[in-house]
Amino acid sequence: METILYCVQYFVDLGAAVMLPIVIFIVAMCLGQSFGKALKSGISIGIGFIGIGLVIGLMLNNLAPAAKAMSANFGISMNIIDLGWPGSSPMTWASSIALVAIPVAIAVNILMLVLKLTRVVNIDIWNIWHFAFTGAIINIATGSYTLGILGVALHAAYAYKIGDWFAPVTEKYFSLKGIAMPHGTTGWFAPIAVPVDLILNRIPIIKDININLESFEKHFGSLGDPAIMGTIMGIIIGILAGYDVRGVLTLGIQMAAVIILMPQVVKHIMSGLLPVSETARTVLQKHFKNSTFYIGLDCALLLGDPAVVAASLLFIPITIFIAAIVPGNQILPFGDLPTIGFFIAMAVGVHGGNLFRTLITGSIVMFMTIWISNQMIGLHTVLAANAGQLTSSVSQVASLDQGGSPVTYILTQIMNTTNVGGLALIGIFYGACVVCTYFWHKKQLTAMAQEAELRLENK
Amino acid sequence: MKKIIVACGGAVATSTVAASAIKDLCKANQIPVEIIQILMSEIESNLDGVDLIVTTMRIKKDFGKPYVNGMAFLSGVNKETTEEQILSYLK
Repeated sequence: METILYCVQYFVDLGAAVMLPIVIFIVAMCLGQSFGKALKSGISIGIGFIGIGLVIGLMLNNLAPAAKAMSANFGISMNIIDLGWPGSSPMTWASSIALVAIPVAIAVNILMLVLKLTRVVNIDIWNIWHFAFTGAIINIATGSYTLGILGVALHAAYAYKIGDWFAPVTEKYFSLKGIAMPHGTTGWFAPIAVPVDLILNRIPIIKDININLESFEKHFGSLGDPAIMGTIMGIIIGILAGYDVRGVLTLGIQMAAVIILMPQVVKHIMSGLLPVSETARTVLQKHFKNSTFYIGLDCALLLGDPAVVAASLLFIPITIFIAAIVPGNQILPFGDLPTIGFFIAMAVGVHGGNLFRTLITGSIVMFMTIWISNQMIGLHTVLAANAGQLTSSVSQVASLDQGGSPVTYILTQIMNTTNVGGLALIGIFYGACVVCTYFWHKKQLTAMAQEAELRLENK
Repeated sequence: MKKIIVACGGAVATSTVAASAIKDLCKANQIPVEIIQILMSEIESNLDGVDLIVTTMRIKKDFGKPYVNGMAFLSGVNKETTEEQILSYLK
């Protein structure tokens, strides 16, 4: 017995970059991949971990001191870097809960499909990391693996419901028929857009405001290029930090490198997960294949819509501004900025492409996200340390996606309450939005049924 | 050597699925390709010498290059049609 325990411990102590390739290699072999492909998948995931470690190191070693100097110069406290989802997803995959989270999330999905609680067949395996993040954070907060797995299951179940509720929007506004977005980011924020829309519809004058920025992308589109955006951010922070010209320019190029390299290294982790995700997709689609089901896909598919593109560009400066006014904020938004569209994509759909309303919903969403991610710094730093991603023991990390998720926050606080006020405030606000969404969805279903009936009669 | 841009919202999850499928497709048809996997906002600055653009999401913008929607690689629906479309631009 002791020998087995010793072996398991030795295996875990190898670290994510070695342990996960071995696990994925074995899993891929079991799923019927050839030896060569299985080996490549395993090594690929290892490459991703080594790569993201290097890039996060580059970021923490250079951006963190600059953010500290900037904060000291201006008497503010934005000195903890937002790693963004490219930083937080690898840490999650490296956690002890992540690989178990995949079968758990799929099992919850199948159970809900069989019980007719959802119509979403989720084949988006990569984004299970959002649910796994919740599980991993709960695991760290409570010390209980069981509660962590429960967190994964609850978050997954909620995401599938979100997929159901917003499928009509996905179809009507984004013209994606038969597709749902049970996604961890756009999913959780979508319910906030619903009450905003209902309230704005009741205010005279304001209800008629609609900003259309078709030409916006043409003029400012190049600023949305992550390389240019990273450089500008680095240069501005360098100047505010009081660096000399050489320091300012160096930071600019370093930050461009960070923001471009992050997805480039993280995609190797995705490549490594391909055998698992392809098998899951094939099996799920074989068993749930007819028109009554929605195919659950990544909400990255929504980011091509012109209104989403325009809103994503606008929210780069807006998010930084909001970060400056959130009381007690310590986080410098960075890693999530190039893909800020994930936070607002579904809101654009709910608001029918109305940019004015999207700005209101998005501002509420970003304010809440930034406040919550501040509460999560401690747990997030432990997650990063467990994954071996911290360069020095004193540094702290945060992320807007997924560290700022109300779903993660509420579930973690319920299972291990440390901030009753925070739980009550976020819980009541978010709960109200979800209730509102539920009734809104019912109403939409009735309206759609009536429309279908009318069409039949007209024939 | 054909040059293909494969773009999506995050340059990680959905574009990796599509890029890997296109790589396999081209290998099976013996077409040498170079795949550039990027964010949608980076397409504009990477257009030089590109033979085909594939995005996993719907885009409304015209980049003046042959374009194929690659959503079928994710959903599995109409995958063969998409593959034929891609090959028709590369042959």
